[in-house]
Amino acid sequence: MFFKNYRIVIFIVALFVVALIMLSYHVKYDGGTGFVKKLVLQAAAPLQAALSSTVRTIGDSWTRYVYLVDLQEENAALKRSIHDINAELVLYKEGYLEALRLRQHLALQDEYDHQMIAARVIGRQQAAISKTILINKGSLHGLKTGMPVLTPPGLIGRLTDVSWNSSRVLLLTDESSNVDVVLQRTRVQGILKGAGPRGCTIKYVSKMQDVKEGDIVVSSGTSNVFPKGLLIGVVNSVDRRDVGLFIKIRVTPFVDLSKLEEALVLITQAPGHPQEKQKETK
Amino acid sequence: MIFYLALPFLAVGMVVLQSTVASVLFSGWFLLEASLVLVIYAGFRLDVVRGLLLAFVMGFVFDCLSGSVVGLFTVIYMLIFLCAFYVSLRMVTEKLYLIALFSLACALLEALLVVLFYHLTYDIDLFSSLLPVFLPQALLISILSAGFFHVMRRIEGFFYGKSVQPPQRA
Repeated sequence: MFFKNYRIVIFIVALFVVALIMLSYHVKYDGGTGFVKKLVLQAAAPLQAALSSTVRTIGDSWTRYVYLVDLQEENAALKRSIHDINAELVLYKEGYLEALRLRQHLALQDEYDHQMIAARVIGRQQAAISKTILINKGSLHGLKTGMPVLTPPGLIGRLTDVSWNSSRVLLLTDESSNVDVVLQRTRVQGILKGAGPRGCTIKYVSKMQDVKEGDIVVSSGTSNVFPKGLLIGVVNSVDRRDVGLFIKIRVTPFVDLSKLEEALVLITQAPGHPQEKQKETK
Repeated sequence: MIFYLALPFLAVGMVVLQSTVASVLFSGWFLLEASLVLVIYAGFRLDVVRGLLLAFVMGFVFDCLSGSVVGLFTVIYMLIFLCAFYVSLRMVTEKLYLIALFSLACALLEALLVVLFYHLTYDIDLFSSLLPVFLPQALLISILSAGFFHVMRRIEGFFYGKSVQPPQRA
């Protein structure tokens, strides 16, 4: 009788309890990609791919007809070319600086043997709080949670959820994204944190340090999550007026994260990486 | 039965569609949260069991696909559904400005809960996003909500000859 009278209330309370248990479990243990979550991702991937493809096709058609086709293509090719050359130049500079440092100490061999898997971006999930994209490769292709994701010329984020045929990439601009970085010119280290639509910020850099607008930011490789020397962005403003010990540094990522179409997942990690250590022990 | 079977697919479709449309229209700055509008609509039109289940599934799918902590939007959507259900006992959906105002309040409540949750749990400061991101998003939701209710009223009129808000609520 009691259950019959209060069945609606019991139903409401039960659903809330389930939701709160899920929430507290994920907050406490960072649940990872559970089976149901994998299923949802798996179900969303084809739909997202179809929709994105349709939208892209319509957008492309519109652009082609509205603007001058030849001029636009030439412009795009030139921009690509400049982008590539700039990226190459910065990479050479990074390599040169690294070589100088190494010559002073010991001749060390580069320990990283990078292998990449190319994936297509099939969807964007960019809520106000989270900036993620969905790619069309998953655990069946050898991807694992935590792997770095790149798009020429630089790093865009890392894998946070891996389903069988699709994965979610947490972008650098996500508020919960943290990357160990170093300024290429002065080797000043800091933590790059996502700042949503405003790009990224570098935290914990002392006011005594030499930081200027235009400084190139690369990954430092200290946390063993991201390999050393991956291009990330450029410093666009430095604010020393803020009260406190640290400078406020804003960084614009090299890659336009709103226009990603393809991405490369770095599947081979450095020997010091925890996943590689596990393999070695096995 | 069809409702319960179709619900997960409807939820996935809705969340994927809203994120695709939002990324085309707003380049990821705002989210066109049609799922929230649907939850509010459910609060005015469905019974508690079906509406709450819809809110639960919609929130869970949104959590899975948006990358937020699983359970956060599930709880928020259920709370908003209950608010909408409670308000529907005292408000008639013929007045679209009231619907828009109520949706604005719901969207702001959602934003506030999200900001507080991330602040208290992860010490992530999203307060600076309240004005430039969440407020325009809430306004967008209120406009979308008024439009959605208007269209649905027409559709209800077409199929049933009148609005189907339960008489005890109207």
